[in-house]
Amino acid sequence: MVQIVISSAGAGGLAEWVLMELQGEIEARYSTGLAGNLLGDLHYTTEGIPVLIVGHHILYGKIIHLEKPFAVLVKHTPGEQDCDELGCETGTRYLVTALIKNKILFKTRPKPIITNVPKKV
Amino acid sequence: MKRTREEVDATLQIAKLNAAELLPAVHCLGFGPGASGAGGGDFCLLELEPALCQQLEAGHSLVIRGDKDEQAVLCSQDKTYDLKIADTSNMLLFIPGCKTPDQLKMEETRCDIIHTEIFGFSNNYWELRRCRPKLKKLKKLLMENTYEGPDNQKEKDSNHSKYTTEDLLDQIQASEEEIMAQLQVLNACEIGGYWRILEFDYEMKLLNHVTQLVDSESWSFSRVPLSTCLQELGPLEPEEMIEHCLKCYGKKYVEEGEVYFELNADKICRATAQMLLQNAVKFNLAEFQEVWQQSVPEGMITRLDQLKGLALVDRHSRPEIIFLLKVDDLPEDNQDRFNSLFSLREKWTEEDIAPYIQDLCGEKQTIGALLTKYSRSSMQNGVKVYNSRRPIS
Repeated sequence: MVQIVISSAGAGGLAEWVLMELQGEIEARYSTGLAGNLLGDLHYTTEGIPVLIVGHHILYGKIIHLEKPFAVLVKHTPGEQDCDELGCETGTRYLVTALIKNKILFKTRPKPIITNVPKKV
Repeated sequence: MKRTREEVDATLQIAKLNAAELLPAVHCLGFGPGASGAGGGDFCLLELEPALCQQLEAGHSLVIRGDKDEQAVLCSQDKTYDLKIADTSNMLLFIPGCKTPDQLKMEETRCDIIHTEIFGFSNNYWELRRCRPKLKKLKKLLMENTYEGPDNQKEKDSNHSKYTTEDLLDQIQASEEEIMAQLQVLNACEIGGYWRILEFDYEMKLLNHVTQLVDSESWSFSRVPLSTCLQELGPLEPEEMIEHCLKCYGKKYVEEGEVYFELNADKICRATAQMLLQNAVKFNLAEFQEVWQQSVPEGMITRLDQLKGLALVDRHSRPEIIFLLKVDDLPEDNQDRFNSLFSLREKWTEEDIAPYIQDLCGEKQTIGALLTKYSRSSMQNGVKVYNSRRPIS
């Protein structure tokens, strides 16, 4: 049988992230993939409503406090640097990197931004 | 190139959004240089119930346990959960350093632009559902090599399988506390660092030593002194085994610095019944009850309800009979358990079947719910009975 440990550094070592939930998929404009690219601007109205501008779209969403928080687990496959006094680790482990207690959900249809003809400078 | 506030404001203008209706801070979201999908297996999302979240915040670990051919479970210190992957048609982005409106409002220094890097994204997550620990294997492993006393040949032979607590955690899909609780239920004993189940006859031999001593000393069952037991019985059996027997069949307490045990009459009567019943396929009920009462220590009263989950009475046969049926010999899976019970007897009353399905009840499942799900009810002679939903061969 396999035992895979999920270890946690405790509250001091755990960051709090936010989850953003979007319908559909995000595609990179260019074939270089998503990494390194901008997604968009996230604003909040004074009432606390999230507003996301992505490309030519505006999305209105809501903040949801999660009844069941999430943990972000990062896999750690042992290499030589993992040997301690007891010897080398033989198994895969996960490290809890962050907890997510809130999510921003966008589920309404995005509104297209109709751009005007650019003003003459 | 990072976006500037001017660029953000220009976008707001094009989008015809009124900056006055927005909080001053904007998060410019971008994908980090290493951002990737969770499909690569390097990271994932685990859904937690609040109690588990607290445990992680306290620095405790969780462990996933399972064999290649088993369904994986996740264990905390004291609970076990089924682990499944839940898919969502939505895209989930994990964003470090992103603040909620409430958090922004609480900040003393107002900033107007926050460059935020998305760590990664996923369209599934690990979902947990509390489940019963899979403890049947524990008894099976410990029965491979039962303990029959220190002088037994088996103890001199190191070939026989023995398990430490760590070995058990390596083999059983359950949390450590659940395993420890079950070891106590099984009357297991830690001998030389290994967990052992006593061979039943050996366990009865120890118990008989104790009850005979109680009788000859005319002690009260609720005031059995440990030191005298060890003194008198020490020549016959190892002291640790005498004390283990007292712990299994009694409750320890201290009075004026002396250790005493209050013997549990129900457990002793139950063990005596098992000893009698295991030697025959079935017993005439009336005869059994007489022999049973005579076999227990004088002063203890036998009652059939002491035998729940151990023996079954058949009141429809003539004469009425009783036979050994141990719940821990039955299958662990719900459907398999009901199938085996219905193969044994076609129709059951709730009173008779309850002890044999009690252990299947989860956190929120009751006996009634299990019966509704796995059986069909009908009336027989004015009594409600349950039978199988499908034909049993």
